[in-house]
Amino acid sequence: MGLTNFTYSHTIGLASFEGRGFMNPVDVRVNSKGVLYVLSRSNAQNKDVRVSVATLDSDYKFEFGRWGTDPGKLTMPTALVIDRQDRVYVADEHMHNVSVFAEDGKFISRWGEPGTGPGKLNRPAGLAFDSHGDLLVVDHLNARVQKFTPEGAFISSFGEFGSAAGQFNYPWGIALDNAGDIWIADWRNDRVQKFRPDGEFVAAFGRTGSKPGEFRRPSGLAIDDGGDIYVADWQNDRVQVFTPQMKPREVLNGDATLSKWCEEFLAVNPEQRDQRIASGIPGHEERFFWRPSAICTTSDGLVMVADSCRHRIQIYRRVRVPVTAP
Amino acid sequence: MLSATERKPAPPTDAALMAHLLRRAGFGATRDQLDRYLKDGYEATVEALLNPPHSEPADQDLVDRYFIATVEARSPGHAVPHWAWRLATSEHPLEEKIALFWHGLLAVGGIKLDHGLEMLREIDLFRRHGLGPFRTLLVEISRDPGMMYWLDNQNSHKTAPNENYGRELLELFSMGIDRTGAGAYTEADVKAAARAFTGWAAKPTMPPFFLGPFDMEFIFDPADHDDGEKTFLGRTGNFNGDDIIDIIVEQDATARFVARRLYLFFVSDTPDEAEVERLAGVFRSSGGEIRAILRAIFLSDHFKSEALRFRKVKSPAELVWGVVRTVDRYRIPELDVCDLPAYSTYMGQMLLNPPSVEGWHEGEEWVDSGALIERVNFAVNELGRTDSPGVRRMIDSVKTSGRRLSPTALVDRCLDAMGALAVSERTRAILIDHAGRNGSLDTTSEEADDRVVELLQAIVATPDFQYC
Repeated sequence: MGLTNFTYSHTIGLASFEGRGFMNPVDVRVNSKGVLYVLSRSNAQNKDVRVSVATLDSDYKFEFGRWGTDPGKLTMPTALVIDRQDRVYVADEHMHNVSVFAEDGKFISRWGEPGTGPGKLNRPAGLAFDSHGDLLVVDHLNARVQKFTPEGAFISSFGEFGSAAGQFNYPWGIALDNAGDIWIADWRNDRVQKFRPDGEFVAAFGRTGSKPGEFRRPSGLAIDDGGDIYVADWQNDRVQVFTPQMKPREVLNGDATLSKWCEEFLAVNPEQRDQRIASGIPGHEERFFWRPSAICTTSDGLVMVADSCRHRIQIYRRVRVPVTAP
Repeated sequence: MLSATERKPAPPTDAALMAHLLRRAGFGATRDQLDRYLKDGYEATVEALLNPPHSEPADQDLVDRYFIATVEARSPGHAVPHWAWRLATSEHPLEEKIALFWHGLLAVGGIKLDHGLEMLREIDLFRRHGLGPFRTLLVEISRDPGMMYWLDNQNSHKTAPNENYGRELLELFSMGIDRTGAGAYTEADVKAAARAFTGWAAKPTMPPFFLGPFDMEFIFDPADHDDGEKTFLGRTGNFNGDDIIDIIVEQDATARFVARRLYLFFVSDTPDEAEVERLAGVFRSSGGEIRAILRAIFLSDHFKSEALRFRKVKSPAELVWGVVRTVDRYRIPELDVCDLPAYSTYMGQMLLNPPSVEGWHEGEEWVDSGALIERVNFAVNELGRTDSPGVRRMIDSVKTSGRRLSPTALVDRCLDAMGALAVSERTRAILIDHAGRNGSLDTTSEEADDRVVELLQAIVATPDFQYC
């Protein structure tokens, strides 16, 4: 089925244990200069975690935040977000902290420690900045969202474990809309919830299933400038797009073509190219999402999807600007 | 090996017997679990073990989230945390134990297959079919693309059959050979089997290097299949692979082979020929149903006898996951779940990578001096983790069993708290002597926790603990 509101643009990525490429990317962001930051999760045992930096036209720059527990290292990273000064914040659910890096990857600081009290963290997941520059952290095993200053001083929190309105069950992704309202991917409750900036519950949508408007473990969220809501429908291997009124608008299943890096890899590995052709895979399964974890939208209409199990970022362009919600 | 007469008569008979069952049909049980099983009774527990629901664990989503690389496991190393979690936490231990059994018998090595997703699918195949009819299992494994690749059947063509799969199917998977290398089949039977399996293969697979793995697929190519007449084990016809399997499962040699392998894995490292023959009879009368044979094992007086308890050397997997389950270490898939397979590897058993198509050599061969140090160190370290819920429960259980415990009572309470364990009289005397160096234990004292933990660690460091 063709796309209605989007066109497929291109794909960036290649599975790699280090250097150019990604390994199970779980988050993607673009800084103010249009530079792409991709967070590779890998399996921590395989020690291929890192933040990779590249341009949107696949010019690989550098990487930082490799495996480890020392300052500047990452073990089980979950999310990445960039502030107005282009500093990069990375949540780590093994170390229960947030590390802060300069845009060139230089380590600045880290904060956070394990626990259940105010300001303590138990497996931080999604990250998002609000309009005041404070950082919202999805504190997923504590089933709450906590707000911190960029330096890590605790401000407030909301949420508790459960399935009732306003409660969470292993929440993951977070996004804020233009009004400052907070949207949470309530992962094991298979729904998305909306809250006021002070944490007051507003609405929820979605239920368990695979039909439009249903989810199986929604992970990442994004809100575009028009208020459309993008949900990485993780176990359904798709991205669902909703209107600001939470009505299904479109489903993206993945349209990947070979990335520039993949093309270059196959050019110098002809036996791999031949094996790929012999398998009969090209042009079919190869294009679909496999556990899309996170989504990033830009003001110029790009939609980037971290396609975790295919080690790439699929990029779409929005072609029909939706009507903004009142 | 400790002789039966060296052993202390097992304490509370029901608990000791249930513990024996759970060590063999699973990876041991905590004292709490034993109490729950005891409420159900022995026979009902056997039936429950034999009939797992085959459903995906409720926490599989969390394993996928925390260990995302296992979802698209490109290699056995990427895949094995997935199984490590199931082994550590499954509520259906025989489902995992039978998967481990078949993983070692219908062995496919990751060193060649190197496709983690396919390895995990094979383990799941063993879960789903490992307790059912042997015929079904052989049919399924013969359509398993990983097995076809492992034993080169994609290179077996109508005009040039490759005998590898046909030979191993007979020699290592179903009928076996005797000590002289002779089987109840001939070289001509191997060749006929190989011809029957021509055209059965793994579809060419997408390389995993740049986009991760894609599913392997079995394909049957009728144009490459030799459908000519064959004579196999005295029967003649235009046999295909399924026909070959039908004939194999009718053989007495197959019944005895499967019975013997099950006996060696679940009962004793030393076969009792009369019991093996009885189990072979169950194979024949049940249509080769593995569940029926295991039921016949677990309900037999032979299996229940005290002489057979602690007579099998624990495999590395049994030791590692048995200890982890005893200390009830994990609530969620923590990072170090990924390390458990490495400990098993250090002890000589690399899961998802049997050393050859023969699988692992079991029994006393598991233990050499290097492996023994690894085994003891691992167990001692785990029992020293007082933040593990299972260790905490053991400590509390011992401490609440009396205000003051004599060295003898302390040792016996610790053994019971660890899941109705028993040790030889000699070992018990050493442990009591060791515990007595500090006199009786005041269970309300500040030193109580440390002394209990030290004794728990001493117990897992005994030779007795190497047996199940």
